[in-house]
Amino acid sequence: MISIRHLRKEYPNVTPLKDVSAEIGQGEVISIIGPSGTGKSTLLRCLNLLETPTSGEIFIDGQAITDPKCKVHLLRRKMGMVFQSFNLFNHMNIIENIMTGPVSLLGHSRQDACDRGMELLQMVGLRDKALAFPDELSGGQKQRAAIARTLAMDPEIVLFDEPTSALDPTMVGEVLSVIRNLARQGLTMMIVTHEMKFARDVSTRVFYMDQGEIYEDGTPEQIFDNPRRERTRQFIQRLKVFETVIDSHGYDFIGINSQIEQFGRKHEMGQKTICRMQSIFEELCIQALLPRMEKEFQIHTMVEYNEENNDTRISIRYTGPAFDPLAEGDDLSILLVKGLCEEISYGKAHTQPFTNELTMKLRLE
Amino acid sequence: MTITKNKEGTRMTLALEGRLDTTTAPQLEAEVKTSLYDVTELVLDLEMLEYISSAGLRVILAAQKQMNKQNSPMVVMNANETVMEVFELTGFTDILTIQ
Repeated sequence: MISIRHLRKEYPNVTPLKDVSAEIGQGEVISIIGPSGTGKSTLLRCLNLLETPTSGEIFIDGQAITDPKCKVHLLRRKMGMVFQSFNLFNHMNIIENIMTGPVSLLGHSRQDACDRGMELLQMVGLRDKALAFPDELSGGQKQRAAIARTLAMDPEIVLFDEPTSALDPTMVGEVLSVIRNLARQGLTMMIVTHEMKFARDVSTRVFYMDQGEIYEDGTPEQIFDNPRRERTRQFIQRLKVFETVIDSHGYDFIGINSQIEQFGRKHEMGQKTICRMQSIFEELCIQALLPRMEKEFQIHTMVEYNEENNDTRISIRYTGPAFDPLAEGDDLSILLVKGLCEEISYGKAHTQPFTNELTMKLRLE
Repeated sequence: MTITKNKEGTRMTLALEGRLDTTTAPQLEAEVKTSLYDVTELVLDLEMLEYISSAGLRVILAAQKQMNKQNSPMVVMNANETVMEVFELTGFTDILTIQ
C-alpha cells in the first residue's frame, strides 16, 4: 500500500531523514517510536507531502507521489493526518469543522456530510458536543474531534503525529482508546507516539527510528522484548548512556574521569558507583589495554545505567589482535575489576571496527 | 593529589588528599623513593584520599616493601569506605597494617 524508498529530507542545518525505506501493507498499524529529533514526524509529513523530500520515492498503491506529475490532491484524499495540536478551525463549531472537508473537497451534500459527521462524533463519544466550539472543549475532546474530522474524509490511511503529546495526562487515555478502536476496524495507520504501552498493544509493527533512519523494524514483541540492536535496547529500557573513545596515547585521563563523574551525578548514582565506574575504566582501558595499543587503535567504553533497578553495565570494545585482559592482564588490576563486578566476560566484538569486547555488570552498592 | 609530609625525628606521616591514580601515583612514588631511607616509622594518612587505583596500590606496596627491608613499621590510617573496598578486594588488608 505504501512503499518508501531511500527517502531523504535535508534542511540547511540538519538532515532529519537520511535514508528511510519501508513497505507498509493494507490494514497495518505501524507505531513509530524513538528519541526526539530523529525524523519521526518528518517522515509522516513527507508521506503526505507537507514536506517535500530531498530525494527518494514514496509510492501509494503503486503511484509515485514524489513524481512531480502526480496529482497530489487526489492522493492526499487517501490519507488523513491527525496533528499534535488538533488544528481545528476555532471560528467553526465541531460539526462544521467535520463537514467542511467532505462538502468542499469531496462534493458531498451538507446533509450527508452532517449525518456522517454525527455518526463519527458518536463513535468518538462527542455527539453532544456537535454544536460546541473548539474553545469549549478539553484537549482530549478537541483531539477526538480532530480524529472524527480526519475520518470524515474516508481516508484509506491515517497518519497520527504524536496525537497525545499536547494533552494533559488525564486526557491521554480517551484519545488512545479512540485510536485503539480504529485499529480494530482494520484502518491502515501510522502513529508517531511516545506512549510505549499503547504502541505495544495497538501495533502490528513498530518502527524504531534513530539517527534519521528506521533503525529497527519488527513486531511489538520483537522491539519491546527482544530488540536486536543496541540503540533500540537502550531506548526501550530507558537506559542512560555514557560513551567515550580513546584513540591516541595523548588521551585526556582527567577529562574522561570528570565526564564519568558528571554522568554519575546527573543520574544521581552513588559516589561508590561513580568510583567503581572510574576504577573499571582506569584498570581496563588505561592499565590493561592502552599499553598494548599501537599506532592506529580505538578503545570504546560505554556505560549503560538503568535508573529503575540501578543496573550499571559497562562494555569496552577495542581494536587489535585478540587479547583477553581477564586472562593475561596485570593481576592487581584484574583482581580489582573482578571484585567490582557481579558479572564479567570477554568475547569477540560484533561491531566494526572492534575485534574484542569486555562486558560487565557492576556490583550494586 | 596533594601530599603533605610531616616528619618528627625518624617518624614520617604522609597525608594524601585527592585521587591516587595513574596520573598521580608517580608523585607518591617519587616521595617514597627519596624520603624513606632514614624513616623508622611511616604513617600513610588517607583521611582525605577519595580514590585509589591499582597504580596507587603498587606504590603503597613498594613503600611497604621498603619499610619491611628497613625492619620498620608502616601504618595506613583513616581510609574511607571506597578506598577500604579496594584494599579488601585486592587482599591489601592482609598485607598492610590498617588502622
